[in-house]
Amino acid sequence: MTGPRVFITGMGAVSPAGNSLNALTSALHQTGSALRTLGLFSAPSPLPVGEVPDVPPQQDFPRTHRLAAMAAEEALHNSGAEPDAIVLGGTTGGMLTTEERLKNKQHNPESFQWHGLVTVAHHLARHYNCSGPVINVSTACSSSTAAIKIAFDMLRAGLGKRILAGGADSLCRLTYHGFKSLQLVDPQGAKPFDRDRQGMSVGEGAAMLLLVADDTPPPDAVAEIVGGGLSCDAYHATTPHPQGRGALRAIRAALDEAAIAKTDIDYINLHGTGTPDGDLSEANALSHLLGHKVPHASSVKGMLGHSLGAAGAMETIISAHSIANGFIPANTGCATPDQNMGWEPCLSPVSQKVQTVLTNSFGFGGNNASLLLRGRERGGGLSSKKRVPLTVKGAACLTGAGDRNQSLDQVRTGYDCKGSLPIQDISSQLEANLVRRMKRLPRMALALAKAARSDAGTSRPPGAVFWGTGWGPLSETHDFLDRLEQSGDQFASAMDFIGAVHNAPAGNLGLYFEAEGPNLTTTAGDHSFEQALYTASLMADQLEQEFLVLAADEYHPRFSPLFDASVRSDPAPSDGGGALWVSASEDSREPKIMPPFLAFSTRGAEVIPRLVESLGGEERIREHTGAILLGIPAQLRDTAENQLQEFLDLTGFEGPTVDYRRWTGEFASASGTATVLAVQFVREGMVPASLVGGREDLPLRGREILLLGLGEHITGIRVAP
Amino acid sequence: MESLVRELKEKIVTTLNLVDVSPDDIDDHEQLVGGRLGVDSIDVLELVIMLERDYSVKIEDREVGSTVFANLKSLADYVAANKPE
Repeated sequence: MTGPRVFITGMGAVSPAGNSLNALTSALHQTGSALRTLGLFSAPSPLPVGEVPDVPPQQDFPRTHRLAAMAAEEALHNSGAEPDAIVLGGTTGGMLTTEERLKNKQHNPESFQWHGLVTVAHHLARHYNCSGPVINVSTACSSSTAAIKIAFDMLRAGLGKRILAGGADSLCRLTYHGFKSLQLVDPQGAKPFDRDRQGMSVGEGAAMLLLVADDTPPPDAVAEIVGGGLSCDAYHATTPHPQGRGALRAIRAALDEAAIAKTDIDYINLHGTGTPDGDLSEANALSHLLGHKVPHASSVKGMLGHSLGAAGAMETIISAHSIANGFIPANTGCATPDQNMGWEPCLSPVSQKVQTVLTNSFGFGGNNASLLLRGRERGGGLSSKKRVPLTVKGAACLTGAGDRNQSLDQVRTGYDCKGSLPIQDISSQLEANLVRRMKRLPRMALALAKAARSDAGTSRPPGAVFWGTGWGPLSETHDFLDRLEQSGDQFASAMDFIGAVHNAPAGNLGLYFEAEGPNLTTTAGDHSFEQALYTASLMADQLEQEFLVLAADEYHPRFSPLFDASVRSDPAPSDGGGALWVSASEDSREPKIMPPFLAFSTRGAEVIPRLVESLGGEERIREHTGAILLGIPAQLRDTAENQLQEFLDLTGFEGPTVDYRRWTGEFASASGTATVLAVQFVREGMVPASLVGGREDLPLRGREILLLGLGEHITGIRVAP
Repeated sequence: MESLVRELKEKIVTTLNLVDVSPDDIDDHEQLVGGRLGVDSIDVLELVIMLERDYSVKIEDREVGSTVFANLKSLADYVAANKPE
């Protein structure tokens, strides 16, 4: 039994070569570098960067959002119907605008409404009236490759017919000075695989692809995506494994999924940023895989720079173009290939038939992603894909009251768990030397993960890590920007930069647990945990080992009220999260979480009926649900209450509902905490009296607990005994 | 020179947030990077910034870095020799 195939039918690109796909491909044919001295903002001794020319000046939206919109417009130009889902990768979001407003001492929250990474995807979802899943991935340099892989899996699992997938990132001070502080930037411009390479060049851009599911190639198909692989190096925060061990895992996973022989690969679009260690690691991985038979290979980062979250999608587009046009771009920037590699990249373009392309994205922190593309005529089936329920073996949470048991005790006595646990308490089970460089959020993530695994009664490494965070490591982000500003842009903290990326806490987990499988980070405001759960249930059918799904957010006194409107409205600053140790294999003794429902609530869309259907239908909900936990973000209370009323009217559910943020406090990952509490209730077979407003605990008698997330996204999680 | 060594030890402990280590615990000749203190390549990046910010001493490349950060003595010697008057 095979599932549908996945074809690329639309592409759009905004890059340092220009504002269109055509500008990009023309530049590739001409081979010259598009790197220029930084002009977008002032910096001491500005370096060469990949800066997009001629972007209309700032109006309503930050630069990243505008780049994304331009590329999406081009990708969807001829396509007609709206996308069923949007899956984007990105690392900067509205950061450039945020930096400028902080510098100008603007402190009104409206100035920061576009700060969040997921707001880029929201911007597109509203414009294209998309009411399906709107997912945001942030795994540093591999973000948009991972986004494409997720979209690929969704299409094969029948979760839509047309998905807009891609990535966008703008230049900003955080990434410009951050990479510089790591001493990974080449002052002359990146020279990937050159003997004298000194480092990368930071860049920006946006690349969007329309992916469609079909059994046969549609007439406008450019190429087919046939497989993808994700892995984690679990080696070091910034240096890849010297032999490319993690990279090899991702490449092999892609080949296995596509059921393609490695010798079929005609062209490898390299990650090749130009860093001494990174390029060598990738070169070694390819030598291990292919011996002396490495086919034509090139990196485009010597021409375009490294556009971080957009790079993967940009290079997928270049790979598809390569197939459609029989054209292999040159590895611009390389004059004298490094002889230690055992092979040479293409020093000039090559014209030849290209049928099978491997494209690599190996991110800092060791998040690796590879994709395989084929010509539309090649054909071949893929095994079917389906989402699977997750059996919960271990569950842990953190609130202002403490860990899971402390939080439950608090709730049972009728008191809420709002507040922000002192960092010494969070770190009490964490070895001091291990966490000395970690600020608040990474410590929360590590404490949660350890506790969930311990609750599962195992000491094995997780097969994968799915991490969600609404706002990322705010302490590190704040301290990095503060130090930069205080020093007049002269000095930046490498430690804070490494810790500031949203996927850093997940990278730490990979290192700590030696977890080398997929390592994904989803950042989608109040629905980050649900998106982590969604991607986990999508990929679980390929995971044999047990794995982690978790989310957390920290309260930062300066940034949290500025960025998160719900936090502003609650006088009790709160933070916390939840972690689940799960398995794809069935176990009737343990609670199960069904594959969750995700949607974006655009005006007029019939989302609630789809939610009801996904949770089993009206009658099932009425008969089999013991209680419903509601995630109602304070800033969207009115919208949420309307959505809830529609749900209750449609289902006729008359049982207890719990507005859980009144118990956990307002923070983006509260849904993770609530899900863990729900799991515990299902394990115990009852919901505490205090929550349901009764005198006695509510016995569940085999019934389920639903968690509904309301507001900008609508989400549904079903926890069954 | 003694006071410079002492000062550098204090800055190393603070900058790197070294746990349970007081400046006096650090021997002048013990291996700084990759040794008992657990100082690694990411810590070195922070120390490079600290040197530039607090002493106007730049470490331009990795080779210089690996000799300079060998131990406290080599670090203090380099700073004393290269800081502007």
